[in-house]
Amino acid sequence: MLKIDNLHVAVSGAEILKGLSLEVPKGEVHAIMGPNGSGKSTLSYTVAGRDGYDATSGDVTLDDESVLDLSPDERAAKGLFLSFQHPMEIPGVQTMNFIRTAMNAQRKARGEEEVSAADFIRLIREKAKLVGLDDAKLKRQFNVGFSGGEKKRMEMLQMAMFEPRFAIMDETDSGLDIDALKMVGEVVNALRGPDRGFLVITHYQRLLDYIKPDAVHVLAGGRIVKSGGPELAVELEKSGYEQFIEAA
Amino acid sequence: MSALANPSPFEAALEADFNARSGTSEAQAAAFDRFAKLRLPNRRVEGWKWTDFNAALRSAEPGDAAEADIKPSPFSALDPLEFRIVNGRIELPDEPVSEGLRYGVVNPVATIPDLEDHPIASLNVALARKALGFEVSDDVAFDRPVLIRHINTGGGFSFAQTMMRISPGARLRLIETYEGEGAGFYSHLFHMVVRDGADFRRAVCQDMGEGGIVNSICAAKLDKQAKFYSTGLSTGSRLSRHECHVHFWAPGSSASINSAALVAGERHSDFTTDTQFRAEGCAVSQLHKGVAKDRGRNVFQGKFHVFREAQKTDAKMAANALILSDGAEENHKPELEIYADDVECAHGSTVGALDEDALFYLRQRGLNENEARALLIEAFVGEVVEKFEDEALRNIFASLVDKWLEQQ
Ligand SMILES: Nc1ncnc2c1ncn2[C@@H]1O[C@H](COP(=O)(O)OP(=O)(O)OP(=O)(O)O)[C@@H](O)[C@H]1O
Ligand SMILES: [Mg+2]
Repeated sequence: MLKIDNLHVAVSGAEILKGLSLEVPKGEVHAIMGPNGSGKSTLSYTVAGRDGYDATSGDVTLDDESVLDLSPDERAAKGLFLSFQHPMEIPGVQTMNFIRTAMNAQRKARGEEEVSAADFIRLIREKAKLVGLDDAKLKRQFNVGFSGGEKKRMEMLQMAMFEPRFAIMDETDSGLDIDALKMVGEVVNALRGPDRGFLVITHYQRLLDYIKPDAVHVLAGGRIVKSGGPELAVELEKSGYEQFIEAA
Repeated sequence: MSALANPSPFEAALEADFNARSGTSEAQAAAFDRFAKLRLPNRRVEGWKWTDFNAALRSAEPGDAAEADIKPSPFSALDPLEFRIVNGRIELPDEPVSEGLRYGVVNPVATIPDLEDHPIASLNVALARKALGFEVSDDVAFDRPVLIRHINTGGGFSFAQTMMRISPGARLRLIETYEGEGAGFYSHLFHMVVRDGADFRRAVCQDMGEGGIVNSICAAKLDKQAKFYSTGLSTGSRLSRHECHVHFWAPGSSASINSAALVAGERHSDFTTDTQFRAEGCAVSQLHKGVAKDRGRNVFQGKFHVFREAQKTDAKMAANALILSDGAEENHKPELEIYADDVECAHGSTVGALDEDALFYLRQRGLNENEARALLIEAFVGEVVEKFEDEALRNIFASLVDKWLEQQ
């Protein structure tokens, strides 16, 4: 379970999150919606442990263990995965080599055995098919020259490979075509299970047709200002955020 | 007989060595005269601002070179034809000479006109006792790599030359390594000609102790439709400078000149190139990558000189550097001197730190800070390592980069 308790976060001296509280119980998928600049990515960076996104007060726990003092890689090894809103291109880094190194680094940190080269190849081929990336893309330098949609597929590939305990998906659906949207739904639904949680950040109700969330939250002014069921997303699509901006 | 005015102890030792010799030729005396005027280059001399041999050698012990154990070379795995130049003494391979090759220990050259204003080249011409002469016959594609190991084990100074001729239509792969734990000064003057249609590929690796003070000069003259490749990797030393002087004398030739430097601690690396275009339709591509850490200093100087007659020259140069610590230095000097009008010349230079966004991305995927940094540095330098077409050779260079990264 991911529990965020009264989280305050300042970035470059400005307070962006102002007492945000949220619980995503094990096995559930929650969605966060909110206006541009409301702090959604700030929340995901803070949970993932990015430098410069420090909690000034409050706590973030994953299965009752605080993660705020852990490094980003320690959090990753604990099973925390972030699908980036803007995935990086990393020239010179071979995609397969990197994903395998990352996978083994996580396993090593957890005291698990490394994945063998043969098992890895089998696994990545299978998952690449699932997310719609062909072999040639796996042989390229990481994300270099990829389209926006292909980069998002690469995020989903890694999520499918790592099978994280908790995944934050920061606008994975932005810029995706209909088929890709469906694919994201399939990846999430395949991973969905009693031991896994998801926080899905999105601007559009559309993705939630494929991923039925257990709850929807509205983030505005650095706080969760409203929570509800899937119907809240439909309502927001109609009425927008104006009422919440006033409230926040 | 020339005399040095106010010599440093090191210069005095050089002069004493020169004066003690019998049978020096007029050409050698003339070379020493030139050196006496030029002196050991210091930071006030154009082209030597960042690589001050005079300062480094001021405190160097002019003692003798000591013998020491010679470590195995990673390049031995390639089954090379192996030469050694140990503290300036040339050792030939212990095997019969292959067909299509000629080599031996010969008298050094009397002068290299283009390098007469080069202080260390002049000193080398005055003081080198022997040269390695090497020739590949017409149309011979020698399939084993040739390895020249420059090994310096002690103090003092030593000089050597290599003279190479790649005959028309011939092909040769050369690996040069600069190694050893010595704290002395070593100067290597390598001049060569790549004849019509010949193909020459050179790999340079400097992996030596931190005390060495090294200058290597490779001066290559390219005839018609010749191909010249030189790719170097250096982890620096007390002071190290590898120069590549490529002169295009006839049309239709091409060169690829690449280098990477990884300098940490107090180490220094300098790759300096001077490419002269004197004929039509020649092409050069040049890439340098520098990584400097701690108080390491990296220098890259690249010059394209395009003469009036060298129309349709295509010359590209890029130098990129990463600075990993506040005390580290990257010094780049790209220089274009162009007198022809129908040419394509470009150069670019960038210096920066590791990309924080990429670091965070890698760490979010599970790599710890050191692993993430190492992966990005490896990727950065990888572009130069990729220039080695031979996979086995490329792997050796890649593992040298890994070894450096592990030591950090
Ligand atoms: N590194 C930073 N330096 C300065 N300000 C920042 C930084 N990161 C975020 N901010 C500011 O924090 C606020 C929240 O940004 P954030 O990226 O979290 O919004 P978001 O909800 O993800 O928006 P979007 O829907 O556009 O992705 C914005 O006003 C942004 O300008
Ligand atoms: Mg965002």
